[in-house]
Amino acid sequence: MNEREGDPEERLPEGRLSEDRLPEDRLHEDLRELSRHIRVPDVAGETMAERVIAQIIAESVPVPVAEPPGRFERLRALLRRHWRRLTAALCGVVTILVLTPPVRAAVAEWFNWGGVEVEYAPESPRPTDEPVPGCENPVSLAQAARRAGFTPAVPKALGAPDAVSVTGLPLGRHVVSLCWRADGAGGAGEAIVRLDEFPGDLDMTFFGKMVRVEPQQTVVGGADAWWFREPHLLTFWMKDKDDQIWEHAERTAGPTLLWSPSPGITGRLEGEESMRRAVEIAESVPAQGS
Amino acid sequence: MRTREGDRIAVDEGVVIERVRAGEAEAYAELVRAHTPIALRAAAALGAGADAEDVVQQAFFKAYCSLGRFREGSSFRPWLLRIVANETRNTVRSAGRLRAATGREATLIGAEPLIPDSADPAVAALEGERRSALLGALERLGEDQRLVVTYRYLLDMDEAETAEALGWPRGTVKSRLNRALKKLGRLLPGPGEGGEEHE
Repeated sequence: MNEREGDPEERLPEGRLSEDRLPEDRLHEDLRELSRHIRVPDVAGETMAERVIAQIIAESVPVPVAEPPGRFERLRALLRRHWRRLTAALCGVVTILVLTPPVRAAVAEWFNWGGVEVEYAPESPRPTDEPVPGCENPVSLAQAARRAGFTPAVPKALGAPDAVSVTGLPLGRHVVSLCWRADGAGGAGEAIVRLDEFPGDLDMTFFGKMVRVEPQQTVVGGADAWWFREPHLLTFWMKDKDDQIWEHAERTAGPTLLWSPSPGITGRLEGEESMRRAVEIAESVPAQGS
Repeated sequence: MRTREGDRIAVDEGVVIERVRAGEAEAYAELVRAHTPIALRAAAALGAGADAEDVVQQAFFKAYCSLGRFREGSSFRPWLLRIVANETRNTVRSAGRLRAATGREATLIGAEPLIPDSADPAVAALEGERRSALLGALERLGEDQRLVVTYRYLLDMDEAETAEALGWPRGTVKSRLNRALKKLGRLLPGPGEGGEEHE
């Protein structure tokens, strides 16, 4: 294996004479040249520091105390009580990590994608399979659109959904869920294919995923998408009976495709076993041309 | 932990973070001062366009908020750049995908070189056309591939820092970078004549 990828001279393509520079050479030069052209805003570190400190003081952010594992539960309880203020302070990253307490030490990495935070914890136990939940308290598609403030995308490959529901999210946002009844594999009874759509452009994590196996990157309509093959722990927000306090709930999610069905919206498709089929369904969403 | 040799401001990050965690919020200013240039550069290279300043301020703010989670002994810079990248992505996403491209283009195409072409005489000046083609090719990479190229080349980070900043294993950085460069090579016109080249 060639370890030194910064040194393209070592990789002379066979059968090509270097009358000029090699294409790889040229590419490296071009990239370096491009980097010289980055237009960086002219802001001094001093100015930035003043702004940031002013913001910290203005928003009365609590002192960021190092988090020893023992304090975790206490912090979690505290967060539950004060989530509104905390989310207002935009410390969403802390919030969601606190929401998924198990095997925190084993969390190797995480990334944020359109309102979904994924934690990669290879040592976490494999959750047991659970059926995909159906859409409760169904409403019409038009009602859902009105309440959520956006028109949910309906993949042509699945046709009109059998049920649609709307669930509240923090910050007055909503997730629209579309459900289709599918025949269970091998006559295993009724299975559900479910598509959740929610505003994913906000600075707020709506769903958390704890995965043991790194998701596979794929492409839907030319844009990035993620395929989570293995069952994984999914955390999500729930409203309580008084419509006031938010709690989070957990369940196992099966293979899931995460992509953006329309600008500013994140979609999670669940209940399809094959990535190819899931991508096909995702790609059958009519383009939002205008 | 010290910032790398060659950085203009060397800060003992570990000590500063301890002071911040002890309640001295003002000490955080030292970290901000030291890392503002690279953070701005990252936001610009990742397509924040005119929002780069705000993105960076917000990233520093968020980094402060989650400083409790910062692992002792690790390096602040890649950790911060991860937050900058997320912040840029959120900002760009909310403005629509198109702006990502135009933002990057405005950031990269029009600007005069900030560093004079003196270090390496073999580096030929890159014509605007070639730069546009390269940017166009970068846009056609998947997000991961674009990120890894940006970190390694546009931000001049080494493989270990790139791995830490992206939160990927080293091997993943290596393989994605390789694939990204191959793809860029395929997407770009061949040297000199500008025609299609087939391997």
